Amino acid sequence: MQTMSRVHSAQSSRLRLLLQFLGSMRLAVSLLVLLAIASVIGTVLSQQQPYDNYQLQFGSFWFQVYRELGLYNVYRTLWYTGIVAFLVLSTATCVTRNGPRMLRDMRALPVRQRHAAIRAQEHFFSTDAELSAEGMANRLAALLRQAGFRPRLEREGSEFYVAARKGRFHRLGYFLTHLAIILICAAALYNADIPVKWAEWTGTLQPAKNFDLPLSEIPRSAWMPLHNPAYRGIITLPEGQTADAVFELAGDGYLVQPLPFRIHLRSFHVSYYSTGMPSDFVSDVVLYSPSGKVLKSGIIRVNHPMSYDGVEIYQSSFSDGGSLLHLQSYVLGMPALQPGQLTGRVGQTLQAGGSGYSVQLKNFSLYNVMPRTAVGDKPDPKNPMINLGPSYTYVVHDPHGGAAEFKTYFSPISRNGQGYFVQGYRQALGDPYHYVYLPVGPNGGISLFLNYLAALQVAARGGAQASPAVFQQIFAMLAARVAPNMSTAEQGRFVQASLNALAQMRDYPAPFILRLQSFDHRWAAGLQVTKWPGTVPIYWGCVALVLGIFILFYLPQRRIWARVEDREGGSHLELGASADRNKREFAREFAAWERALRTSPRKEDTTLNC
Amino acid sequence: MAKSMESWAEELPAEFRHRTLAEILRQEAAWILGLTAVAAFILARWGAQFDYWQYVVLASWYVGLLLAGVAWRPLQWATVASVLPALGAVWLYAHGQTAENNFLLHYVLQGVAAAMWMSVLLLLATAAYLLHFFSGREAVGRWATRLTWGGVIFGFIGLGVRWRETYLGHPSWGHIPVSNLWEVFVLFCATTPLFYLYYEKKAQNRSLGAFIMPLVAAAVGFLLWLTLAQHMDRVEPLIPALQSFWMKLHVPMMFVGYANFTIASLIGAAYLLREGSVRRRGILAARLPDADLMDEVMYRAIALGFLFFTVATILGAVWAARAWGGFWSWDPKETWALIVWLNYAGFLHARVVKGWRGRSMAWWSFLSLWVVSFCFLGVNMFLSGLHSYGKL
Repeated sequence: MQTMSRVHSAQSSRLRLLLQFLGSMRLAVSLLVLLAIASVIGTVLSQQQPYDNYQLQFGSFWFQVYRELGLYNVYRTLWYTGIVAFLVLSTATCVTRNGPRMLRDMRALPVRQRHAAIRAQEHFFSTDAELSAEGMANRLAALLRQAGFRPRLEREGSEFYVAARKGRFHRLGYFLTHLAIILICAAALYNADIPVKWAEWTGTLQPAKNFDLPLSEIPRSAWMPLHNPAYRGIITLPEGQTADAVFELAGDGYLVQPLPFRIHLRSFHVSYYSTGMPSDFVSDVVLYSPSGKVLKSGIIRVNHPMSYDGVEIYQSSFSDGGSLLHLQSYVLGMPALQPGQLTGRVGQTLQAGGSGYSVQLKNFSLYNVMPRTAVGDKPDPKNPMINLGPSYTYVVHDPHGGAAEFKTYFSPISRNGQGYFVQGYRQALGDPYHYVYLPVGPNGGISLFLNYLAALQVAARGGAQASPAVFQQIFAMLAARVAPNMSTAEQGRFVQASLNALAQMRDYPAPFILRLQSFDHRWAAGLQVTKWPGTVPIYWGCVALVLGIFILFYLPQRRIWARVEDREGGSHLELGASADRNKREFAREFAAWERALRTSPRKEDTTLNC
Repeated sequence: MAKSMESWAEELPAEFRHRTLAEILRQEAAWILGLTAVAAFILARWGAQFDYWQYVVLASWYVGLLLAGVAWRPLQWATVASVLPALGAVWLYAHGQTAENNFLLHYVLQGVAAAMWMSVLLLLATAAYLLHFFSGREAVGRWATRLTWGGVIFGFIGLGVRWRETYLGHPSWGHIPVSNLWEVFVLFCATTPLFYLYYEKKAQNRSLGAFIMPLVAAAVGFLLWLTLAQHMDRVEPLIPALQSFWMKLHVPMMFVGYANFTIASLIGAAYLLREGSVRRRGILAARLPDADLMDEVMYRAIALGFLFFTVATILGAVWAARAWGGFWSWDPKETWALIVWLNYAGFLHARVVKGWRGRSMAWWSFLSLWVVSFCFLGVNMFLSGLHSYGKL
């Protein structure tokens, strides 16, 4: 029995030690600082990138170390969540341990206080006066009233007690701030969707890794439940299409979140300021129930989400939604050949005839706004930007496994009276583009240039001299046949432009040139779909937090106790007071009271004359 | 007898005497009535277009200015001195005057010109504070304070007028001028000295100006570089993500926080230098206020900054919930705001609850400047994220 109780007490003292540790201020301050330091990691290392990027950046050894530590999505790791949980635990312990004492503090102040308690206050002084005890007590009360307190007096026999307090509900600030932190963290954990994270961790839910699968072929193990309490996913939706699921990135894969409705994007629209900067992104959206009933329709803009049944839909990005491009291909050096026709949507890969070359249509952008100076134009401070019109990018894969990327502008630009089609190419993704300026002929196409190019090649094969006169001569012969209306000045400009283009094309990585003939543009809107039921409690937590901080800093508690007793020929005053914030200011105030009370008139009758 | 009781207590010096509500109303009548009249006018004139948030904003401004003006009287005339010229400029613009054809607008009142006046005055003020510190001449110190007030007032005139200017020519561009680096630097240069002036008055000591104003001068230097070399003073339209009501609240509140944190950390530096100087009996020990006072002012600045920083971060989260689809995205700027918040939460716990004082806290406060500056500038310069506004 005795040993049992000893074990019991040992256990309880261990528990007490643990509680003491959890509730200690040292731990709280350390956790705050630790959390701050841990948070830095995720800002220095960009989060949730494709794993290949990390592998390139760190090499395979450190890549694995960092992956094990979860550094690619720090804020969702167990250890980070653990620190937050520990902070919440520590805060909760602190509140439960200090709560009762603080609640007692807020109760009404006892007026009568023991000697020792008065002396134990931070500020204390005692003085003798020639006033009666009652007179002194009244006098002190009057002084405190002047200082903005509401003192209470009590009498016990010949002794008088005075007590006053400001900031009775100062301790409320403590409760508000600490409970707010607990509430905010708890609600944030709820939003973080713990059950799904748990399923992911135990392996019942497995992120899919293949980003090219159509929705129907994504394995069921990557699907989250329809009635998931909280989620945040993205969907890229081309104009005219409908989706009923969104995607959430998880590690190097993704999870699928089915939605309780279908989102149909009627249209997407970008508007621009006169400077060429985008001014608005607008998605026109209809929500349908699974049975096809219209639930809601309207527009979604940045800063103006659509809300339906606890789910919020936000405008988050945009891209090309598979524009239809009609292209013409001109084979270099064979001007007699009719240009080949290619048609495809952005995202598709086309075969260029039987040549073995394939063309991957990568992107199309309707507007290209850039500084005038970047394209060699005169700077214009009133209108510094220029819109180069639509452009498209494509990757040409040659039969030997090589590839090059091209960026081509749809409309020609004009410089010194000569029009040019601008075509950029590069052989590695990170490289800057090399630009080729192909001169536009009088018929608005590039056939004149290609003919001239072929004629030059023929002449070179025939052993002609490479001199300006010869170049002019060859062009004059060609122009007489295909462009008889060109003036001499135009001819001169065209020849010069063609020779420049030839020099720029020395390393041109494809045997053909693609020209965009026409296009049918289609946007895709990137929408973010969020269900975060914890948001409202978090906002209430924030209100409590701010209110609590205000109370803590600006409504300090100040308590004053005094005891006056009769002494021979007068009275004896003992005054003690303390403040739990702004102590320095209060010390000055207390010193002023002390001065006033000490230098008081000695006799009652003299004061009566005042 | 009762009468004499009161007369004894009147020996309490005025500064320690509590002002009753009636006294406050009587003494501050002009300020209270003036502000009320302005608020009533705004309500009568534009109230019909208000939604409930605009009522909240108007009420916050009304109550905030009212209380701040009562607590710190110089703020009353400073408000008038910045609002009236700004309204004058708006009036000139409304009557067809432009910076090209109006002398006053061109050289004084237009946003950029006023910011330049602010810069000049703050640089002079910095020089005056330093001169005051090393020469100890009170007259110089008084001029330093006046020049700082002048700079602050010109800064706010500039921001007010610029707000109007963003609408001129392009009504769809209009926005509160806190949208790019140039504009927030004007805000920073105006706000930091304003709060410094408050602490100067509280501490009854001008020597701290020699520590705080040089940093303001450095910010002014950066602002001038942005203006003259980068031409960032041009009004530009807002990208869609910034077109939000919340920007009006989030950014200015953030800068109240930044200003106070900056002041606190520079006081921390002064505290540490003074400590070294006490041993050598140097000039710093002789001129700077005593250690306890600096410790107290440092704490007050951090407390005020912390309150506003908390509100601003929460407002940022509310805004993020509207613009980015979630109130917290672990964007680098958000995360750094959290780091700053945690850092000062740690500081306040250590000071208030553990009662830490002195050297270690001064170091903590001083080193926090680097954390705050990284949150303010470093994130935008070195890290990419949603606050870089490179994307949508």
